[in-house]
Amino acid sequence: MSFITVCCHINENSCFVNGETVLHKNEESPDSWFKQLYKELGIEYPKFYKMDMLSQGGFIGSEFIKRAKPDLISKYKDDEIALLFANSKSSADTDIRFKESFLEKKTPSPSLFVYTLPNIVLGEISIRNKWFGENMFAILPKFTPDFFVQYGTILLNTGSKAMLAGWLGISEGRVQVFMFLVETENTNGEKFDAENILKYSGL
Amino acid sequence: MDTLKEDLKKHIIEELNLEDLQVSDIDDDALLFSTEGIGLDSIDALELIVLMEKYYGIQVTNPDEGKVAFLSINTMADYIEKRKA
Amino acid sequence: MIFIGAEEIISPLGQNMEENFLSVYENRSGISLIPHAGFNDESIHLSKIAGIPNYNKFEFLIIDILEKVLKQVDPSIVLSKKTIVIISSTKGDLDRNISNPFADSITAFVKYFELANEPIVVSNACISGVLAINAAGNFIKSGLYDHAIVLGCDVISDFVLYGFQSLFAVSAKPCAPFDVDRDGITLGEGCSAVVLSSSKEIFQKSSFQLLTGTSANDANHISGPSRTGEGLFRSVKKTLEQNHIDGNEIDFISAHGTATVFNDEMEAIAFERLEINEKPLNSLKGYFGHTLGAAGVIETAISLQMMRNNLLVKSLGYKESGTSKTLNIATENKSSELNTILKTASGFGGCNASLVIRKI
Repeated sequence: MSFITVCCHINENSCFVNGETVLHKNEESPDSWFKQLYKELGIEYPKFYKMDMLSQGGFIGSEFIKRAKPDLISKYKDDEIALLFANSKSSADTDIRFKESFLEKKTPSPSLFVYTLPNIVLGEISIRNKWFGENMFAILPKFTPDFFVQYGTILLNTGSKAMLAGWLGISEGRVQVFMFLVETENTNGEKFDAENILKYSGL
Repeated sequence: MDTLKEDLKKHIIEELNLEDLQVSDIDDDALLFSTEGIGLDSIDALELIVLMEKYYGIQVTNPDEGKVAFLSINTMADYIEKRKA
Repeated sequence: MIFIGAEEIISPLGQNMEENFLSVYENRSGISLIPHAGFNDESIHLSKIAGIPNYNKFEFLIIDILEKVLKQVDPSIVLSKKTIVIISSTKGDLDRNISNPFADSITAFVKYFELANEPIVVSNACISGVLAINAAGNFIKSGLYDHAIVLGCDVISDFVLYGFQSLFAVSAKPCAPFDVDRDGITLGEGCSAVVLSSSKEIFQKSSFQLLTGTSANDANHISGPSRTGEGLFRSVKKTLEQNHIDGNEIDFISAHGTATVFNDEMEAIAFERLEINEKPLNSLKGYFGHTLGAAGVIETAISLQMMRNNLLVKSLGYKESGTSKTLNIATENKSSELNTILKTASGFGGCNASLVIRKI
């Protein structure tokens, strides 16, 4: 049996961990909303500034989940945490920016191009934590709890002991991030099923 | 030459999204691609090639040429002066 | 047991599996020099499909390939609630709607075939195809579905070509995987499919056994391959262990082999660490170019054909060893009993995946 042990929500102006508000956007701040969240984390990871919005969103969610679960890194081996992410629009925001770089600015930007794949966020989280586990990024027409339960259960039955999963809806100024941790060895959570995912997601 | 170096640092910080750095944090002879220095990576190197064309009109067609030219702010400034001369 | 078969390919080398395998058998490449294709209007080597409309090309290809596949299996599976379609693609129909690159094509596709279940798109860079086949196998193993159809498709766009040009990753000549003079990728486009099932009865021709594998990130760099091959090493090691296969049982490796200096070197290091570097190996990129999300499916389809024909196909573009660890690269076509093959893939984001296919 598996359990959802932590969840993190980020929308356009608030971030919640396990339903508790972590930060509201400061509209007066010169910093972007994701930069405000990064500063709230109090970590030093300059690579954050190089990431696109999709990677920044996934990265911040994963860091807040780690903060709520300080033993996450020590409890599992470096290949036991699977990453399963999805959204409906792939890397569309960055794709549009890259297209502008060669159409309007007349120079295709290599640092934008490398973010024009949705699974790059999985790489960023893996690099940050030195995780060598399973990865999958799927494109679905809409948030589908069944997909996470079905494929998540498969991952947890084929060698992974925990799973960091999430819906990364970040495009056209909208932010709809829902990330959650599923563990097999920790019963201190809610049962990992579609009903609970839907309930927690608020989507 | 000094203005060139200052400008170069400003462009690098902006174009490479080095938001945690100020112009004063980058020494003229600090190794840009060393973790002891600024810690840039292979994608940054390609973005520096874009920057050379965008701000200085210099085309670098062989990335290996960049490897030598982009060692530090000093070598970059020398390279720009030479190519413009 | 999970059965795999009914392989199909549409590519510059042919409109169906037979034409494609004949071209590969005759060591013909789909790569040609396309005038004015590059960002600076330069000519670029590409493996581009001629004779199909550019308009909604992605949708055209995924519908066309599924129609071809359904001639090789019990066609009623397409309507079944116990069938899942998994599409592997990096960019979908980007040129049709950059803001939503999959929605239009897939809605049309679902409607055309009246699919019972919404397809899943696996978009995980260049391992998408291998990952999708593994996911399909796992879905069947878990009992959620009885059949799965995996379609891999990516089409060439200015977007992707200019992007690889900005990385200085496009080869000036047709790509030469694992060769000492390799200097980058040649982009390709294509569409391929395989069918997986818990029943071998649905296949009209013989099928093979799929031994599902694993994926592993190498936690190194988002666009640079690991210097130690750690992710590929771990993925293959786990795939073999989970299926209780010894490295010696592998008859052939269908490698990724993109022909960039660092990728091919990384693969050689990983295969040496796995002690399977003496196994016959090829890369098919010299025939099809790099078809990104389609590559894993195309290369699995050709591997099945190689097993059907007991023929080891030459790795096109390779002349002289260009990796620090020696590999046993196929320099000529060769008859050979192929019972067990290993397929691998690696991609941006540090991802790696592998699977094994066996003759029944």
